[in-house]
Amino acid sequence: MGRTLRKRLAAVGLWLLTFVLMVIMCVPGLWVVLTAFRPNAEVLAKPPVWIPENPSLNNFAKIFGFGADQVAIPVPAYFANSLIIALTSTVIALLIGMSGGYAFARYRFRFKNGLFLGLMLSRTVPGIALSLPIFIIWSRLGLIDAKLGLIIVYVALNVPFTIWLIDGFFRQIPKEMSEAAQVDGCTRWQAFWKIEFPLAKSGIASAGIFAFLTSWNEYALASNLTRSTDSKTLPVGLMDFTAQFTIDWAGMSAMAVIIIVPALILTFLVQKHLIAGLTFSGVKG
Amino acid sequence: MTDRRPPFWQREKYTPYLLLLPAVLTILFVVLLPLIFSLYTSFTGYRLIRPESLWQWVGLRNYERIFGDRDFWVAFGRTVIFLTIALNLEFLLGLGIALLINKITWGQRTLRTIMMFPMMFSPILVGYQFKFVFNDNIGILNNALQALGLSDGAIPWLVDKYLANFAIIFAEVWMSTSVFAILLLAGLFAMPRDPLEAAKVDGCNAWQVFRHITLPFLMPFVFIAMTIRSLDVARAYDIVDVMTGGGPAGRTELLWTLIARVGYDNARMGQANAMAYVSIVLSIAFTYYFFTKLMAARRYMGGAD
Amino acid sequence: MTASHIARLLAATALTGLTAVSALAEEVDYGTFDGYTLRVKLIGGAQYEPLYTRIAEWEEMTGATVDVLSRKNHFELDREIKQDIAAGTLDWCVGSNHTSFAPQYGAIYIDLNGVVGEGTLAAFQARALENATVDGRLVQLPRHSDISNLYYIKSLYEDADNQSRFKEEYGYDLSPPETWDQVKDQAMFFADAPRFYGTQFVGKDEAITGRFYELLVANGGQLFDDDWNPVFNSDAGVEAVNFFRDLYEAEAVPAGALNYLWDDTGLGFASGTVALNLDWAGWASFFNDPENSKVAGDIGLVRAPKGSAGVRTGWSGSHSFSITETCDNTEAAASFVTFLTNHDSQMIEASAGLLPTRSTVWDDAKAQFAEDGNDFLVQVFDTYAQSMAEDAFTPPLITPWIEVSNEIWPRLQAAILGEMTPQEALDEAADAARLVMEDAGYL
Repeated sequence: MGRTLRKRLAAVGLWLLTFVLMVIMCVPGLWVVLTAFRPNAEVLAKPPVWIPENPSLNNFAKIFGFGADQVAIPVPAYFANSLIIALTSTVIALLIGMSGGYAFARYRFRFKNGLFLGLMLSRTVPGIALSLPIFIIWSRLGLIDAKLGLIIVYVALNVPFTIWLIDGFFRQIPKEMSEAAQVDGCTRWQAFWKIEFPLAKSGIASAGIFAFLTSWNEYALASNLTRSTDSKTLPVGLMDFTAQFTIDWAGMSAMAVIIIVPALILTFLVQKHLIAGLTFSGVKG
Repeated sequence: MTDRRPPFWQREKYTPYLLLLPAVLTILFVVLLPLIFSLYTSFTGYRLIRPESLWQWVGLRNYERIFGDRDFWVAFGRTVIFLTIALNLEFLLGLGIALLINKITWGQRTLRTIMMFPMMFSPILVGYQFKFVFNDNIGILNNALQALGLSDGAIPWLVDKYLANFAIIFAEVWMSTSVFAILLLAGLFAMPRDPLEAAKVDGCNAWQVFRHITLPFLMPFVFIAMTIRSLDVARAYDIVDVMTGGGPAGRTELLWTLIARVGYDNARMGQANAMAYVSIVLSIAFTYYFFTKLMAARRYMGGAD
Repeated sequence: MTASHIARLLAATALTGLTAVSALAEEVDYGTFDGYTLRVKLIGGAQYEPLYTRIAEWEEMTGATVDVLSRKNHFELDREIKQDIAAGTLDWCVGSNHTSFAPQYGAIYIDLNGVVGEGTLAAFQARALENATVDGRLVQLPRHSDISNLYYIKSLYEDADNQSRFKEEYGYDLSPPETWDQVKDQAMFFADAPRFYGTQFVGKDEAITGRFYELLVANGGQLFDDDWNPVFNSDAGVEAVNFFRDLYEAEAVPAGALNYLWDDTGLGFASGTVALNLDWAGWASFFNDPENSKVAGDIGLVRAPKGSAGVRTGWSGSHSFSITETCDNTEAAASFVTFLTNHDSQMIEASAGLLPTRSTVWDDAKAQFAEDGNDFLVQVFDTYAQSMAEDAFTPPLITPWIEVSNEIWPRLQAAILGEMTPQEALDEAADAARLVMEDAGYL
């Protein structure tokens, strides 16, 4: 009895410790969230005002053009662009990544290591070396200031990375499982969807989160390839708060909250599927 | 059934190539094609504002200029140091967090989401955020230190030679530690239980289990994470550009800030692309290193090769 | 058709109620462009946006539609325009421009002489048009101008204790500075780091190059001689660098100043922790707004002080609009830029404290401020009118200006931080600038 109690106390203690550590880690980010609800005078206050004394939604109202004489920032358009671009590119990158990852994990073929390395090295190219040539090619193809243009770029950004991740997860699944299924009369294709895919779900889910967040938050290339509300994404929209002489940090923070919240919600939802990874290790045992 | 051979795309031999085709095509189109263009421009005196200069072949002059350019090599060295410190810190912190969270059975989902909070931040936002945090006069960090009586001076976080580099590494580590943590956590989840149980039965202590079972199992994940991060770390450009712009007096200049200034502000795209090629060599070195490590770890694990 | 346009314009003027005395000496026909879509790239940001509410009015008047392709800050826009030049995608008509950026773009923008009506051009200040001219071509139509003057916290100067202590220490009366030497004295006197600073300066990018440049001129120096040889490594140059360096070493400016840009200095002064602040007119309303600023109601303003040659600093430039060479409807584009810089448009910008480029708007805006009982803005406009008229000068209007600047400012930083002597830093910068000028064909 005393032992279980001690065990339980230790568990609670561990939880609290972890929680506190996580919160400390989040402080710089939480500061941004708090700033979103402050009036400007409080943002610059010295000595600092820790917890907003007059919390208000004014910064959000200003963004949407209520009350203030400021022209509204087209947040709904940016938001829609971001969502469409990030989701589409994530789904495509996952499909391509699954097929590629499966090839690397399950087959032996010539140039295997070379191809793998080549794919990885494609990510070593700094965006700055790519931005101008991509711009020139895209402008010939009419892909500047178009969602499709950005989607293609983000798929390419995410593919190598999705492949490695998914490859790693497929490797953890014993070959024998799908072989057994094939002996039982499944085609390789069926064996993949029935046996291997469900087991690799956790890997695919985390690859998906990464791909989504990369696309959702990418700034450098988006700022080069987008122009107007047709394609501008939320991170590029952040720069609407900067002018030659000023940065509206409170307004920018409010916009930041608008960017962060959906990403957070999606992450929380996809977490569920990450739990499938737990069952996976159980299956093996 | 006859023994007529199936069309080539159905032959087992070609399956992996077919599976890889979409990935290869995407990369060719978005990375290789532009890369060939910028390789060409690195041999020209290409200046953005004079399109006709694209045809002005200068041979190796851009590269010669770079090799004699002290500022470039200082930035190069700083980038190597920046990468090394940032990646190792991210790995250690991420591993710690992953192990902690892995121990927790109740409320783990919430903690995992909190853990991933910094990943929700766009690099450009992280830059502004830490620019304001580290501001010497009205920044929250100095204000906090002064309010707590820990400091009576305004610490010039973004100006001092060491502190400024600390500040940009801090911002980078803050943004990316979660990436390591989540990948390693996923690795821990995929970990088989029986070797652990067996080891415990054999009387191994926690450290021995970690050192001889958990860690080797995690190594492929560590190297995947390392590789991904070392490639992706060029994203730090957004952060550094906003926080310090490479200054003051070049104290936080990284290759990427230098390349962007030369290429766009000075409009000398040819020279900037030559610099970019030298920096690609650097990234390839980092990547190749982690890749060989990854292969070694996989062989150790008895992977599918 | 044309008469009705003017009538409509007058009606609009009366409706907006911004001014009672709108003497329209120039007759402008904004034309009709039914079904035409004008593609434009505009500078974005809080202080530039109010003007764009007028675009709808122009659309209604002319029947054209305006497609704003991008709205970004100037550095982003600059990058985008350079990409457009490189990719040959100059498929738009009107772009925001600025004195410092314009010379880089070469011939992509047309000469507006003969495109914009002569009567219209005559209503602009001669100086503003002169600064908008590159190689004899009027490539921009100025929208508003910028120049800096010295803001200070009034109560500090009224404090009797401060007055007596200052006199004792420095031997002359404490009053708002007339010279940069006095600024240095007073900044050091008021400074009490890290709680309070005497003054501040922007510390990187073209910003500090500009500040150095104006002090160089005020000290009797020049960036280039008549043949475009860099000559800023002169005694006047060293004196200018020493000004920044001394303040920095004495901790009279924030230690982070070398990483500051305009937002940092503006917000710093608004936070009430800085005594003296050389800054642009656009900040005046912000500084005096209790919602944004802790020094509201306690702000004094004097003309920018004099350097050792008795010249006042007056680095100046204008925000402007340009029309591309590739534009498919120059007439519509000209109508658009004329409309956005007309009297009523400038009144909107002036009411936010931005400096007009039309002579009559100066007076009308001031009358408006007086009527509204805003004495502070009246004083602001008086001060800035004087400095615009007497002190303003632009950076050299050369193609590689930004490139030259990029050679200068890192070395200024190194000198201020004590990594090099001012002379070494300027010599090195002058050598590098010479290379840039050679490459650009000036030498």
